[in-house]
Amino acid sequence: MENITLTSSPTTPYFPEVNFNVEKGTCEIKGESYMEETYKFYLPLINWIKDYTKKIKKPLEVNVKLIYLNTSSTKCVLDILEILKDFEDDGGTVKVNWYYDKSDPDMVDEVEDFEAESGMKIELIEFE
Amino acid sequence: MTDTNIVSFMTNKTILSYKGPFYIELISVFGTNIRNFNDAYSNARKKLFKIFIELSQNVSNYSENYHMVNNVQRIGVGELTLKDLEKAYLFTTKNQVKKTDAEILAERCEIVNASDQLKLRELKREQRLNSPGEKFGARIGLIQAVMLSNNTLEYHIEKINEDFSYFSLTVKIDKY
Repeated sequence: MENITLTSSPTTPYFPEVNFNVEKGTCEIKGESYMEETYKFYLPLINWIKDYTKKIKKPLEVNVKLIYLNTSSTKCVLDILEILKDFEDDGGTVKVNWYYDKSDPDMVDEVEDFEAESGMKIELIEFE
Repeated sequence: MTDTNIVSFMTNKTILSYKGPFYIELISVFGTNIRNFNDAYSNARKKLFKIFIELSQNVSNYSENYHMVNNVQRIGVGELTLKDLEKAYLFTTKNQVKKTDAEILAERCEIVNASDQLKLRELKREQRLNSPGEKFGARIGLIQAVMLSNNTLEYHIEKINEDFSYFSLTVKIDKY
């Protein structure tokens, strides 16, 4: 499996920065997410997590640092959380941390909805 | 149909008006400026940014009048207006839809408008879980706009011909 590294650019702020690392067992998504053709962007990320949970099967830490994601992106994030939940149910170890700005209470509600819809426990952590 | 309460307030300044293809590059620049144009009402502007992106992307994704980019990507054409009122921002989008879709959209607006926050959250969860995903997205943009603004959606349908109509949607975002 290859790592995924996507850097962000001020000219395309609608794409998040992505760092998925097989050796470290970490996935980080950071910035904002409201690109066109959302599923096309997220599909390689979803497939990476599917592969990791089926082939590597080591503990995985997911750190989400999105300050904004549109509703199409929320559908893709939910897909990822459902894969993680299946991994956990099959005995895998996974930790999901969601970093949020405390001045944005709507994000806390969003994360609560993700937890309810996916069944995956999400740790809410304030941005420093 | 819509009532005219909001329209009667439309005497204050227009801070943004645009008609044309809703390219992501434009939506992003407009949205970023809306979020950052001053320090006042920062909570309202955060909500406005989210609603702006969501409803603008609805135009981009679903308008029946569209441009094709490289014969592959479909970019919807429409209009948007943002007004700065004394106590609120007023954001309107307008785009061409099939006559039959206008009726479906109107029905969705009515359902969303008749729901309280708890019911909206329930609808949002249900809709997102049941959405087929991929190119269809989450199909919760209208619900999200009402949840964020805590105000109802105002819509207006204008007939173009037997097959198509213009559908306009207005959301009020209170400053306080």
